[in-house]
Amino acid sequence: MSAPALLSQDQTDALQEVTNIAMGQAGSSLANILGVFVNLSVPRIRVLDVVAIGAAISDMVGPDKEITAARQSFHGTMRGEALVIYDQEGCMDLADLMGYEEQLEASAERELILDVSNVLVGACLGGIADLLEATLTYSAPSIMAERIPVDRLIDPKKMTWNYALLVEVNFTLEERNFTSHLTFLMPEESIQSMGEAIDKFMESF
Amino acid sequence: MSQVPAQWAPFIVDRVDIGLFVLDREHRLLMWNQFMEKHSGKKAEEVLGQNVYDCFPELPRKWLEKKINSVFVLRNFAFTSWEQRAYLFQFAHSRPITGGIDFMQQNTTIMPVVGADGNIEAVCVSLFDVTDTAIYQRQLNEALAALEESNNRDGLTGIFNRRHLQERLTAEFERAHRYNESFALIMFDLDHFKKINDNFGHLGGDAVLRTVGKRMTELLRKSDIFGRYGGEEFMLVLPGTDVVGALTLAERIRCAAESAPADWDGTPIPFTISMGISIYQPEHRKPEDLIHETDLALYFSKKNGRNQATRFDPAVHKDIG
Amino acid sequence: MLIKSLPTEWDIEITQAANGLEALEGYRAGKAEIMFLDLTMPELDGYGVLEQLQKEGLNTFVIVVSADIQPIAQERVRKLGAVAFCKKPVNPQEIQAILKQYGIVL
Repeated sequence: MSAPALLSQDQTDALQEVTNIAMGQAGSSLANILGVFVNLSVPRIRVLDVVAIGAAISDMVGPDKEITAARQSFHGTMRGEALVIYDQEGCMDLADLMGYEEQLEASAERELILDVSNVLVGACLGGIADLLEATLTYSAPSIMAERIPVDRLIDPKKMTWNYALLVEVNFTLEERNFTSHLTFLMPEESIQSMGEAIDKFMESF
Repeated sequence: MSQVPAQWAPFIVDRVDIGLFVLDREHRLLMWNQFMEKHSGKKAEEVLGQNVYDCFPELPRKWLEKKINSVFVLRNFAFTSWEQRAYLFQFAHSRPITGGIDFMQQNTTIMPVVGADGNIEAVCVSLFDVTDTAIYQRQLNEALAALEESNNRDGLTGIFNRRHLQERLTAEFERAHRYNESFALIMFDLDHFKKINDNFGHLGGDAVLRTVGKRMTELLRKSDIFGRYGGEEFMLVLPGTDVVGALTLAERIRCAAESAPADWDGTPIPFTISMGISIYQPEHRKPEDLIHETDLALYFSKKNGRNQATRFDPAVHKDIG
Repeated sequence: MLIKSLPTEWDIEITQAANGLEALEGYRAGKAEIMFLDLTMPELDGYGVLEQLQKEGLNTFVIVVSADIQPIAQERVRKLGAVAFCKKPVNPQEIQAILKQYGIVL
């Protein structure tokens, strides 16, 4: 997992704190739409070689887990792709939480997943961008995979970036199965521009 | 950027070839560009200041209100996709001959407009004509579905094949497990199939297999899953079916086999079948447990003289296997 | 970032803890007259720290500083004995006002 020090330790620490604040906002948005208390994890920040990303994601979600995932692109001061990965069992709970009593049709279930993903990505990345005084726009989210084993989610051969910043944030709901993992993948030059934004942010304190 | 005269911006916004409109908190229109005028047939001066749902009653109001309000509340982008909802506005499209669709397919992006004080004052909606993409995607999906369908079929009988049966059985098992429901599994095979092959040749045997596929399909509900598991063995997955239902159907199937011979190019080939039945219980750990039980029950049907159905009974059938 | 928000004229010793367990150790060593407590922490989270502190007599002022802005989070920490809740990013005026309210500023 050797990756160059694209971010210094200080920058990583600051980004972790910024992400923590942003995920507080995202968690609150999620709690808002679901009407339940959301448990937040400590965000984890890593710069990884692309070949290590698949393993890192399997590790985060738990090996052999069946998942459904959505992806969404963002552009601006930083650019990259956000992934929201859901435990398959939790996906079922999501429909229940949103007040659907019957089993959802596949298209309605997809829309629900896309809506929740959009809220999480927008709130979390939006929070980071606000703090770092970065501007971001988002493309529409889309379903990346449905009901597949987590180790099949990422194919390193298809990745065009050498390194990626992996920001992991987990949301779990109390008394529910629901768990979602949010990660942002950014290419090298975006990691560098993010580093610069972090430096400016630290100077302001 | 600085070289572009400021007065160009309104011109570009108005003429750009995507739909742009702006809504305030009460969902009144504050902006309506030429793309929207052209496709809706309504001029900006007719709609500005009006509630958008009053101007366009065809809009899916409840759904769209929720999306737009979420942008005000969460300060977040929202999106609509043709894949979820083919269109918002009933606009004509430019593929009347090849399209096979009613209206222009649309994606939209709903963006918060932040005022100087940091509050969300309005939302800006960009509307994209994705009719071409949607048509290609639909054609592709149809082709993939046809391919998937042929992958799921048994070449000889045209009913489902083993791979698909296993997938569906697993799915049904998980569904029953999750929602605390039940279903029945029936496996049956042809009695003395080897003799049929010996007497009539393999082509005769094939004719019997085809007859089974066709005749039994007619007895089933749409939700039942029926296929050839392998050789002369068939599987039936019956969602939401209890013991009584399973036994009744098994008897009808048995009679359907016995009642008339298969017709192989004018040669009648009589045949019977033996069946094993198992009902899903929460104690079952995996789909294979049910298959194993039907195997044991089927073995009993054979031993007791064939041409009959046996329901698995743990007290009687556990000792063999 | 928090440390920079504290009153500069304040003559105190600051002990930093990287997780909930370290915070409890610091408390037991008598180093925590005032504890600024985050909720999301590795090993033991802020709720866990508060529960343990209650068992051990809660001989300290706990000011929770968290990014978790769900109203229920605030309610819970107050029930567990925290005197105040500041949401991140912290604002020095807010911290000083709380300290003043409890007569802590020297």
